[in-house]
Amino acid sequence: MNHDSDIPPGWSYNPASWSQRLPIIALAVVGFVIAAYLALYQIRVFPTVWEPFFGQGSIIVLNSEVSRLLPVSDGALGAFGYLADAIAGAVGGKRRWKTMPWMVILFGLFIGPLGGISVLLVILQPVLYDSWCTLCMVTALISVVMIGPAMDEVLASLQHVVRERRAGRSLWRAFWGLSEQSHGGQMLAARR
Amino acid sequence: MWPHLLCTAIGAWLMAAPDLLDYRDPARTNDHIVGPLLFTFACTAAFQSTRGLRFVDLMLGIWLLIAPLVFGYWGEPLINSLACGLGVVVLSLIRGPITVQLGGGWPALWRTEPAERA
Repeated sequence: MNHDSDIPPGWSYNPASWSQRLPIIALAVVGFVIAAYLALYQIRVFPTVWEPFFGQGSIIVLNSEVSRLLPVSDGALGAFGYLADAIAGAVGGKRRWKTMPWMVILFGLFIGPLGGISVLLVILQPVLYDSWCTLCMVTALISVVMIGPAMDEVLASLQHVVRERRAGRSLWRAFWGLSEQSHGGQMLAARR
Repeated sequence: MWPHLLCTAIGAWLMAAPDLLDYRDPARTNDHIVGPLLFTFACTAAFQSTRGLRFVDLMLGIWLLIAPLVFGYWGEPLINSLACGLGVVVLSLIRGPITVQLGGGWPALWRTEPAERA
């Protein structure tokens, strides 16, 4: 067993290390920039939108009824989602899988549904409008690629919370990382 | 990892195939729906901690094999659906190497060890 306390018990690496998280944060930032561009087109800050492959596709998709179902456009919602991903990915140190499980789980909740909505929108483009939007698909690709690498950290946090509960300690305190703050390293060392 | 990346490529192909092979509904809509779903689950299953999602790919592969029967389409979309379905079924059954340890993985969340049950 690895005695480095940064690494979750039974793991061969730390899923909350910066080398694991930085690529996801970088992807989220790129997604944010593209989605913000699309949102700015949707409110006509930009008069046209870049579309290299599908002719009028982006214009049809970005002005469709689906894109205006909510009070904010789907582009704006996406931009907010990627920003939330980037922030939730960046907050906390490399031990956050046990010091901030709530943040890691929130991160997973941002990544998962955002990916789901992106895929739904990609399905609706051809099915409802028989059109494709290149940049929309690029952002969807980013959402999808982020899911796999983000979920290992969520798993480590869930395992930590479950382990604390099975040891008879408060699930609530473990979820908010309070047990780690109060017990500190000594308690952990004693447990080993 | 590579079997799942190949499944991802099949998902992308299914998104493009209705236009490239120029076939109509119902195969068109079916592939436009299955393609992105397959792409998403296969891409996620390529990562070791979420490798279990390959079984969703397996379901989608089986669906591609039976969809032509359910909706009754023939010719190119039938051959395409069967070829893609067969490929996805075979590829999703290959787990691929797991080179990292994940503390027991997702089953550790609901599996109770005998010592802990006491």
